[in-house]
Parts: sequence; structure tokens; C-alpha cells
Amino acid sequence: MTTKVSRKTLAAFLGPAVFALAIVGIAPLLFAVWKSLHYFNLTKRAQERFVGLENYATVLTDQAFWEAMGRTALLFIIAVPVQIVLGLIIALVLHRPGLTLFKTLTRLSLVLPMATTYAVVGLLAQVMLNQKYGVINQMLGWIGIESINFIGDPTNAFIAVILWDIWQWTPFVALILLAGLSTVPPEIEEAATLETRSNWTVLRHVQLPFLIPSLVAVLILRTADTLKLFDMPFTMTRGGPGSATEFIAVLIERVGNRQFDIGMAAAQSIIMLAVTIVLARLYIRFFYREVR
Amino acid sequence: MAAPIQSRSLVGEAILLVLICAFCVFPFYWMVTTSLKTQVVALESPPVWWFTPTLANYWEVLFEDKVGVSLINSIIVAVCTTALAITLGTPAAYALARFEFRGKTDLWFWFITNRFVSPVVLAFPVFLISRELGLRDTHLALILMYLTFSLPIVIWICTDQFRSIPRELDEAAMLEGASQWRIFRSICLPLAMPGVAVSSILSFIFSWNELLFAYILAPKNAKTAPAMAVTFMEGYDVPYGKIMATSTLIVIPVLIFALLASKHLVRGLTMGAVK
Amino acid sequence: MNMKTHVSALALAAGAAFGAAGSVGAWTLEEAAKPYAGTELEVLFLDRPGYNAAIKMLPEFEAATGIKVNYTTVPYENALGEQVRDFVAGGDLDIALIDLVWMGNFAENGWVVPSETFINNAALADPALDMADFFPLVLDAFGSWNGVNYGLPFDNYSGLLFYNKCMLEAAGFDKPPATWQEVMDTYGPALTKDGKFAYALQSKRNETQSADSFARFLWPFGGSFLNAEFKSNLNSPESQAGLQFRQDLMKFMPEGIVAYDHAETVNAFAQGDVAMITEWSAFYSTVVSPETSKVADCVEIAPEPTGPAGRKPALGGFSLAVASQADEAEQAAGWLFIQWVTSKANAGKYLEMGGVPARQSAYADPALAATFKFIPALVESWQEGVPEFRPRFAEWPAITEIVQEWGTKIMLGEVSIEEGAKNIGEKMEAVLAEAGYYDGKKPLAQ
Repeated sequence: MTTKVSRKTLAAFLGPAVFALAIVGIAPLLFAVWKSLHYFNLTKRAQERFVGLENYATVLTDQAFWEAMGRTALLFIIAVPVQIVLGLIIALVLHRPGLTLFKTLTRLSLVLPMATTYAVVGLLAQVMLNQKYGVINQMLGWIGIESINFIGDPTNAFIAVILWDIWQWTPFVALILLAGLSTVPPEIEEAATLETRSNWTVLRHVQLPFLIPSLVAVLILRTADTLKLFDMPFTMTRGGPGSATEFIAVLIERVGNRQFDIGMAAAQSIIMLAVTIVLARLYIRFFYREVR
Repeated sequence: MAAPIQSRSLVGEAILLVLICAFCVFPFYWMVTTSLKTQVVALESPPVWWFTPTLANYWEVLFEDKVGVSLINSIIVAVCTTALAITLGTPAAYALARFEFRGKTDLWFWFITNRFVSPVVLAFPVFLISRELGLRDTHLALILMYLTFSLPIVIWICTDQFRSIPRELDEAAMLEGASQWRIFRSICLPLAMPGVAVSSILSFIFSWNELLFAYILAPKNAKTAPAMAVTFMEGYDVPYGKIMATSTLIVIPVLIFALLASKHLVRGLTMGAVK
Repeated sequence: MNMKTHVSALALAAGAAFGAAGSVGAWTLEEAAKPYAGTELEVLFLDRPGYNAAIKMLPEFEAATGIKVNYTTVPYENALGEQVRDFVAGGDLDIALIDLVWMGNFAENGWVVPSETFINNAALADPALDMADFFPLVLDAFGSWNGVNYGLPFDNYSGLLFYNKCMLEAAGFDKPPATWQEVMDTYGPALTKDGKFAYALQSKRNETQSADSFARFLWPFGGSFLNAEFKSNLNSPESQAGLQFRQDLMKFMPEGIVAYDHAETVNAFAQGDVAMITEWSAFYSTVVSPETSKVADCVEIAPEPTGPAGRKPALGGFSLAVASQADEAEQAAGWLFIQWVTSKANAGKYLEMGGVPARQSAYADPALAATFKFIPALVESWQEGVPEFRPRFAEWPAITEIVQEWGTKIMLGEVSIEEGAKNIGEKMEAVLAEAGYYDGKKPLAQ
């Protein structure tokens, strides 16, 4: 179903994008790989030297690194399913006919969380979750719940990050799934609705097949963003208390930017990148209808 | 979940919608109201809902703390990134959707993979390189780096959009002797507008909000608004009003942009859902 | 205050006029700055009282010299990173802002110029510079490394005990605690009740944890980070006793103290929820101003309580030094600014505007001590202290991260004190070994 074109045409269409990404994506990456084989500390340039795979060995045996990886995985495992379920509910409600004005307003309000700067989201969390002057604790008080120390307790801080991630990204998931629902041919949907009164059956057998690509897109995007998650925990908890919210990107930033150990940070990044690529490959292999 | 009585279900639905709205809007509302509080009011315990608003925080951040400049920097960076990503990305997406060539799947995958690369991976090497090239603290450095995540998203969304356009249209044009470029420009690109719009919004939002590259690569002259907002987070004294005023100023432009284009949002986000 | 500012400005103008009209050889700032008029200086500032005071004083300097000072305000957390990256990249900072714990780092990398270079240059050195007027401890700790002075103390702190006299009196105390043991045995139990707490110790996982929390309970108990061989001393009985004391004291502190940074701690005190805090002198203006404090009238200040090993209060502060990456004109102009802003002549004004100068002469006036209640305690604290309260070598940025992580874990009870201290010790020694302290490559300076 595709056209064969000359090499020249192909190069004209693809060349610029490939070239640009090679420059901004690959070149720094190669540089990072090279640096990861060195002892390279910004504040100790005199001791710079080639160390082979030493940095990798250190990272792979570093408890803090694996703990951060585990924390990131845990965040993903908890937050993303919740986002998908809530997002799907929102999308299904919005997809149903009727109450047009309400639905338009809701759709517009969905844009708010995802448009809010991630760093700001973390700052906002500090303000709203504060034990003393935070509004969330005030509201919990109204329904008789004692104020919760969100930021100062390791478990609560982790939960707070999850809740905030859900707040920010559920709407995005909802919008993608809503778009997915819009690809279901209306005649099929109507016929199915007439046949069965169960919404579940319609969802399971009629809508879901059309939603698969959207769900995979959501998974891919959310995996990428969870692995990259930095701004929000950074401004909210700085990885604390203890290391309760030190996710992988926060850890790497700390090593590279506060200990200035660029060689080590590079090694950590490369390992993280390898994990990412494997995950992305898996998703696409198993779920996604690739470009044919 | 079945709806035996239509009206009751509608009421339930309306309540659910209101809850969703409240869930989305409340933190935003709190941000805006906090930005209108003085420090003493902001730190009051329990928090107050009714107070005399003041614009002093906005005045201060805009005219004393150079937030205005950082907003302009952000606009320059986000607009240029988005324009560049669309210019480079749409032809590539078109090629991926329409042309046949070897290694297409791998190429597509490689494009998308870039979206996965965390800024922490690239930030330090780019910092070292940018200093050699004299790009440190320039808009250009940020614009180029932001391509790493905006270009993949444009290519991804637009490839799917192009593929959903019926091929009969371009086949007819081809019979009339139109070049591939003409078909792309005059026929397919206009039809793929929802995708272009959505990927522009996303690319704009992602670049506008980016923090890590910004704060490593642009410490001063090209400092963007999110990096500026973090600046107020001195553990010494946290001026909540000023932080929230800055935050509000940062969010509003994105919001306007996103709301304007929101009618495309649903039509353009049909990722991978090919007929 | 306005009045006084005018008077001193007049005095300066008069002095300048006199200097210009006087003998040809007399040094004046205007004369010295002439070749550098139009030079622009880049420097990082923090958003703290001392910097705001300096910013208010800037126009006077710029008018007199034609030198422009461009300051960029950054949060403390980013100040080290931004400067390191700027110096590594050969950026445009002309003046370095050095926290005492960065001193070794900046000096060893050659990023700052020894002050001697300028002091020996008659064209630049103010005859009234009087280095001996700086508190020796402060000059040594904030501005010098390995016996060489680089920076002049600019934004200076000592840890002080801020206490709420009204709360103490209500609980039957007519004076602040003199020892930590008293805090634990009598003040703590008596003042912790009805949702109020006796004490708050800022302990957030950043430099606050290392400087304000961890180190504060090492030294007064006879502990230290390192022993004479530069091995970890954290598992010594004294260090352990100090850390154990901190842990035990937590029962008199608000819940979630590990999330408290300066802002939260000062606010808790200012709201009257906490009776005592140990904080930097610079917070004085915040807690006594009715705009930011509900307890303004009750605030009193004393030196920090003593431990078994004496007082050893927290020591912190910043010096300004000329950056070696600046060109000759910028270096000269930079020195003129540093010298001016930390000068004896300006110390009084700096103090009035909210800064804390390190000039002994500035505190000689007994009238000042009546206005600024922290002065006697501050002067007393600066008489003796440990410059290596936090080691100032180039490895500190790596070590402080370790202390921050495990220090908070200890407080949270995630690891035992012994275990946590052992962990810090091992990791710290690994950093020091890497740096070459154990094979004689580097002198054991901290």
C-alpha cells in the first residue's frame, strides 16, 4: 500500500529530520558513552583519566542506584494503571452523547493539569500538602481525618508523589483514550448498544479493539515520562525525606550536578537508557501495529 | 452501570463531570489564589479561603525579579522549537506514512526512542559540548536540545495522521503529474491539520515546561520561566505568593494556546489508530 | 534609619571630596576606579538579607566608580553548581561567592585569586583595608585555604539560640538553657505540651541536614567528621553520643522535622509553635519583624547551648573573591567592589540594612547591641569555634550528599545511628581515598 520513490525524494523528506536528531540526539550520547569510561569530575579536572568499565561496575553494584530504579518501577506500577482506569472512565463518560456543555467544559478543564509546568506542580504540592498551612490537610480535617504529614514522612511523601502524578497525567491519558474512542465507527457502536444494555460488553467487545493502539501509546509515553520524572519530585521533596522519593532521574541529577561526577552520571544514564530501549522495544513488538 | 432511567443516569453523569472538573481545576485555583495572597496570609494556619487579594506579588516578580524576561525567553524557545519540529517532522512523517523503503520500521522506532531519552542523559555532555561551540546560555542550545523530545512526538502523531488520509486523493493528484512534495504540501498536510495542531500543542507544552536542560544550559541570559520559578525556592525563606504568581504567569500562555487548539485535541490524538 | 543613611552618604561624599582635594598620593575609591569605569562585573547573589543589604548599597558604589555590578539571584541549592559550571566552562562570572565549605574546592581548582595580589597593589588596596579588623576565625574559615587568603567575609553567620521569652517564662524559666543537657532534661519536657514544642531543628535533606543538624550535634559532644589520619571519626563514642542526643531530642521537636528547612523552622518559631530554635544570625530580622512574626516582642537571643566539649556553635557564611577567569580590568574592579562592600567604613550601614558584617569594629558601639539583640551572642560565638565545623576541602560537596542521605535516614529510624554512621564513614573514606589523601598525594587539610 505504499509508494516507491526515488532516493532523492526520500532523502529530501527524511534527511533533515534524521540529520537534526543525529546531531542533537546521537552526538551527545556518544560523547556521554565516552565520558562514562572516564573518571571525570568537574571539580577535579586534574584527576581525569580513562578507567574503562569501572564506573559501570560501581553503578551496577550501587545499592542506591537499584533502589532508585525500584522506586521508579514501583511508581510506574502503581500510578499508570490508576491513570489508565480513571482516564478510561473519564473518556467513556465524555464519549457518551448528551450534556454537551458540561462535557465541553470538562474537556477544557482536562487541559489544565497537563499544561501546568511540572516544576510548578511540585511547588504547588509543597503549598497544598503542607501539614500546617496546606489546604489538603484542612479539607481532610473537614471530614474528620487528622492532618497528615505528607512531605515529612517517607511513605507519605512517596504516596504524595504518586497522587500528584495521577493528577497531572490522568487527563492526558483520558484525552488520548477519548481520541481512540472517536475512531470507533458510530454505526457499530450504535448497533452494539441496541443489542446489549451492558456498557461493559460494549466496551469489551466493540470499543476495546479500537482502543488498543491508544493504550499502547499511553503506555509508551507514560513509561518514558516516568523514567524521566525529575522536575516534580525535585521541586516537591528533593528526593527526600531520606531517599523516599529519589527516582532514577533525581539520583542521576544529584550525582552529575551536585557531586559533579559526570563520568559516573553518564554511566548511570547509559544503563538507564539501555533499560528504556528494551522496554520500548518490548511494547512495540507486542502491542503496536508498526509502520508497514 | 446500565441506565434504566435516563434522567437519573444523566444526573449521575453530571455529578461525575463536575467532580472531574473540580479535580482538575482545584490545584490550579489554589495556585492562582495563593498568588494573590501576601506571605502572612499564605502561611496562615488553617489556610484562608477569603482574603483581600493583592497584585503585589505579580508586580514584584515582573518588575523586580526579571520574570518578564524569562517569559520572553520561554516564548522564543518554545515557539522556535515547535516551528522547527513541525518543519522537520511533518515531511519525515509523511515519508514514513507513504513511501516504501528498507529499514522503515527501525527508522520509525529510532525516532520514537528519542522521546525516551531522559534529559539527564544528554544534559551533561551537551553542557560540555555547548561550551566548546560557544552555545552556552543561548536560546539556540535549548531549541536544539528540545528537538530531542518534540521531533519524535511530531513524527509519531503526524505519521498516524497521514496514514489515516485516504490514498485515493494523492493517487488522483499523482495521475495529474503532481510531485510528491506538492501532494504533501497541498493535499495531505491540510488534511492532517488536527495532528499537526496537536503535536504543536504538545511540543509547545513540553518545551515550555522543560526544566533540567534549561537550568543546566541556560543559567542567565536565556533563562526560561520554569528555571526562574525554581529560583525562588531558597530554603531560607520561601515566598509562596511570588512562587505562585510566577507559576500562574508561566501556565497562562500555555493554557491559552492549549484551549485555543483544544477542539483539535481529540481528533489529533488518535495515535496509532489506523483504519 | 533613613536619616543615618543620609548622614553616612554625606560623610562619604565629604571624605571623597576631601581626598580628591588633598595630597596627590592619598588613595580614594574614585581615583582607584578611574581606569575601570564602565567595567561590568558578574556575580551570583542569594535571596537573603545580607545580599539585599548589599543591593541597596550598590548605587552608591556604582556612582562613585562607574563600575556596574550585575548580580544574578540564585537559590543556595544551585549556587555551587552554577558557579562550578561557569568556571569550568570559562563563563562570565568575575566574582566568586564562596560558602565556607566550598573554599577548598574553589582554591584547589585555581578558580579564585589570592587576595594578596591586590593587597600588594598600592593602586588597588585601600589603606584602610585593615584585615586584622575581621574576626580572625571568620576570615580564616570563610575566606582562607591552606594559609592563603582568597575571599573577604561578606555574608556572615553564626548559629544562635533564638528563644521565646514569653513561653519560657510561662513554663517557669527565667533564662535560656546554658547546656544541651538542660534542654533535654528540663526545658524539653516543660515546654513540649498542648501542641507546642520545645525545640525545632531544621534537618531537611540538603546542606541544612549536614550543616544545621548533623554537625551541630557532633562538635559540642566532642565528636568530629574525621580523625587526625582523615579516617571517619563518626563511630567514636563522642560522635555517637552526639548523634544519639540528637535522636533523643526529637521527642521535643514537631513531627516530620526531617522535612523542615530554615523557612519552616523559622516560621514555626515565628508562629509561636516552638519555643526555641538554633538558627543563623541572619534570621534575626524575620523573627523580630511584626509583619512576619507573631512573637516579635518575645524574641530573645543567646549563644547556642554548650555540650560536654564546649560551645562549638554552627559556623557558616560566605566570602567574596575575585575569579581568576576574569580579565585584568574585571579583576581589579572586582577587588574594588569586594573591598568596598566589606569595608570597615561600610560595616555599620551594612548592619543597619540587614546584613551581618564580620568587622570587629562594627560591634564596638554598645548602642548597636541594644538595637540588634543578637550582637552580644554573635560576638561571643565568633570568639572561638571550629573552622572545619564542616570540612572545607574540595571533597565536601560529595561528602555532604552522603551525610544528607544517611543523616536523614538515621533521624527517620530507617537505620540505627551506629549503622548510619558506619555507612557515612565508609563512603566518606572512599571519596577521600579517591582524592588521594591516604597515599600522601594530598595534604590533610580541611
